[in-house]
Amino acid sequence: MDFMKYFDFLVWFPENVSTFGAELDHLFEVIWWIDVAIFFLTYGLLAYFLIKYRQKPGVRARGYHGNNLLEFTWTLLPTILFGGLGVYCDGAWETTKNSNRIPKPDVEIEVLGKQFNWVFRYPGADGVLGKRNDKIRTTDNLFGIDPSDPHGKDDIIIENDLHLPINKNVLVRLSSVDVLHSFFLPNFRVKQDALPGSWMKVWFNGIKAGKYEIACAELCGASHYNMRGTITMHSLDEYNTWYDTQIKGKAEQMAQAPAPEAKPAEAEAQAGEHHGDAKH
Amino acid sequence: MEAIAVEHSTAHSHDAHDHGHGHHHAQSFIRKYIFSNDHKVIAKQFMVTTIFFLFVGGLAALLVRWKIAYPDQAVPILGSLLPNTWVSDGVIEPGFYSQLLTMHGAVMLFLVIIPMVNGMIGNFAIPLMIGTDDMALPTLNMFSFWLNIPAAMLLMGGFVIESGMAQAGWTAYPPLSAIQGLGQTMWIAGLFLVGFASIMGAINYVTTILNKRAKGMTLFRMPMTIWALFVTAVLITLGTPVLAAALAMLFFDNFFHSSFFIPYGMLASSALDGSRNWTGGGQPLLFQHLFWFYSHPAVYIMILPSMGVVSDVIATFSRKPIYGYKAMIFALMAIGFLGFIVWGHHMFQSGMSPLLGTTFVLSTIVIAVPSAIKVFNWLGTLWGGSIRYTSAMLCALAFVSMFIIGGLSGIFMASAAVDIFIHDTYFIVAHFHYVLFGASLFGVFASIYYWFPKMFGKMMSETWGRRHFFWSFVFFNLTFFPMHIIGLGGHMRRIADPTVYDFLKPFQPMNEFITWAAIALGFSQFFLVFNIFWSLKYGKPAPRNPWNANSLEWAAPEHPGHGNFDTDITVYRGPYEFSQEYREQDYWEQWVPPTEEEKKAEAAYFEAHKGELH
Repeated sequence: MDFMKYFDFLVWFPENVSTFGAELDHLFEVIWWIDVAIFFLTYGLLAYFLIKYRQKPGVRARGYHGNNLLEFTWTLLPTILFGGLGVYCDGAWETTKNSNRIPKPDVEIEVLGKQFNWVFRYPGADGVLGKRNDKIRTTDNLFGIDPSDPHGKDDIIIENDLHLPINKNVLVRLSSVDVLHSFFLPNFRVKQDALPGSWMKVWFNGIKAGKYEIACAELCGASHYNMRGTITMHSLDEYNTWYDTQIKGKAEQMAQAPAPEAKPAEAEAQAGEHHGDAKH
Repeated sequence: MEAIAVEHSTAHSHDAHDHGHGHHHAQSFIRKYIFSNDHKVIAKQFMVTTIFFLFVGGLAALLVRWKIAYPDQAVPILGSLLPNTWVSDGVIEPGFYSQLLTMHGAVMLFLVIIPMVNGMIGNFAIPLMIGTDDMALPTLNMFSFWLNIPAAMLLMGGFVIESGMAQAGWTAYPPLSAIQGLGQTMWIAGLFLVGFASIMGAINYVTTILNKRAKGMTLFRMPMTIWALFVTAVLITLGTPVLAAALAMLFFDNFFHSSFFIPYGMLASSALDGSRNWTGGGQPLLFQHLFWFYSHPAVYIMILPSMGVVSDVIATFSRKPIYGYKAMIFALMAIGFLGFIVWGHHMFQSGMSPLLGTTFVLSTIVIAVPSAIKVFNWLGTLWGGSIRYTSAMLCALAFVSMFIIGGLSGIFMASAAVDIFIHDTYFIVAHFHYVLFGASLFGVFASIYYWFPKMFGKMMSETWGRRHFFWSFVFFNLTFFPMHIIGLGGHMRRIADPTVYDFLKPFQPMNEFITWAAIALGFSQFFLVFNIFWSLKYGKPAPRNPWNANSLEWAAPEHPGHGNFDTDITVYRGPYEFSQEYREQDYWEQWVPPTEEEKKAEAAYFEAHKGELH
């Protein structure tokens, strides 16, 4: 059965480097082989009929109108097959996307889509992301970080260059500052639209170190094609080293240019808006 | 009807039909050929505009393909003709690329496929196949065509203004579509009008089919084409108003800066001139729900009429009754019904609640069942037939085979979990082109080859028809099959330059291959246009019933004039009485009354085969 590999479309997939990716690829493969079987069945019948029943002199067609038993059979069998398939596929969907079943996160970050960059926010030295509020978002404060929250002061903001540790559950809170984007990590089998005004939870767990690409999968304007970022997966030690460098960099930056004072009125307006995950 | 029959049944000549029948007074050229109420003239008008727009949309597609395959190279010939704001040194700018892909989608869906399967096939087939003189509401019918002209001008109007055409994709998701300029605003208005035209046509079809059937034409004696058009018309009347609502709100957001779809905290400075402001507080997902509530049924609006035509063509050229006639009708209805409860499968990754995703997976995957019923019944129709390979039959078989592939690839994206990776990739593009071009458009080709004799009174050239079929079929597959592969590689839709990404670089040669196949596919369509003109001039005069078919359109004169029939039409049987054992002739026209001997032969046959027949 070695020749079967030439029929397997899974070979075209980019390498999978996430935990649930294997499960999703497996589902693709299940449907693929069902499809191959149906394809050969239907095309086989089609080819056979087209050759055998071509017009021949003296041979008349048979005027059958149909057969209820056959109709019943080819209604029931696909119902069972496809209904079962739908149920079978549901488990992987729940694992990957159901926000109630996301495993306990080891790393929490935020991602914003913006024409035409990906913007990432890390918690910084204190390990806590500052409160945010979409209503106070400006071009200088894309995340709408609450200026009165001390946790927000040391948050690290990076564009297009995401770094994460392997074998850790990563929870991403995803949104957009302008139009729709779609956070697409081909190697991780992750895709989630970023909606302005809503914060979506996305999780994954990378299993292989290396540098991979981030793409935007939802038309977001003229430079949509160029909304490219990279995601580098490190071992935990490497990641910590990288993260410490970032914290130091942020501290130096804050020392040079202190953040402007918060306006009290704005700070009050955002009370109770903490991490408003509007969708889930 | 009766009056016409009396007047003309004795002496009819070509002149008589060309100049219309007794109660239709001589009409001026304008009333007869331009602002005509005659359903056949309106069908021809739709045919001319849709084939024209097929080439417009195709050209946009080829420019899109050129940009993807050769992002840095000038477009041959056309590059130097386009304005410098859209191309630089002949190389398409990314913004213009977005306009092109938007126009390709919108033109092909709203100005080609929908008007082709409804405007052209529906207008031509409905009155003729149910045996009546014209539509129930002929003036409304005329408006449903003429409204398409201003609609098309608005849809593509951005072509003549500096800021360009709409560029938010044919789906026009806000906020992107809300923050764009005049081209987008006109596009929204144009689409609104197209929807309006579509509703007018659909109301007319439903009314005509329910009220104007010939004597004896019960619902279960209607050909599959009429059933399919009926279900489609119901889908249009129920679905399109929802699209109109979505577009009205989008128009307000775009033009008056309301905030139906604009959330708080949206910054879109890069796309704005600074003078526009939205208060926010809306929800962009709302648009997607409304849009797909129409646009998923629209997918079936685009394919069901073709399914009907293909059923009739396959039955006629296999010389067999359509297998499982009632099962086919119930499958159509099931597809129509399910079409309204699956829109969420376009939104699995959109941010819609994943719990809803599970529901939509099940409703979507169940659509495979009526689709499978249809495929098996088409196969059943071929089984034991005596197949004539005419151009119409070849195109109908192309429909069946391409629909199988399009259906099978649909199962992947019906599963929300598998859809995570393939959503918004070329796998989706491949899938819907297999269904829309491979199936729907080949169904339309079949309908042209099948009804051309009745439409124009001339036979079409079979030689050129086969050439058109063959090259279209080959290049269609060479264009769209590799798209599955690059889609599985992760190739996103709607990106102007795939070479930006390392993971897509290995697929660039395939992209180039696809582009050349697409160019060849585009040129293959000139065979069709050539054939139409050649046959109009040199085609043999068509006999009344060139295919020995059963349905009523073949009872009409060779080139029917306004009023259609020259005899009184009464229907005696269903449309698929082919090759019945108790008859010498291998077809039995619906309008021919049985003789006493035939009645006896039929009764004797059924008596002898009691219990064996279904």
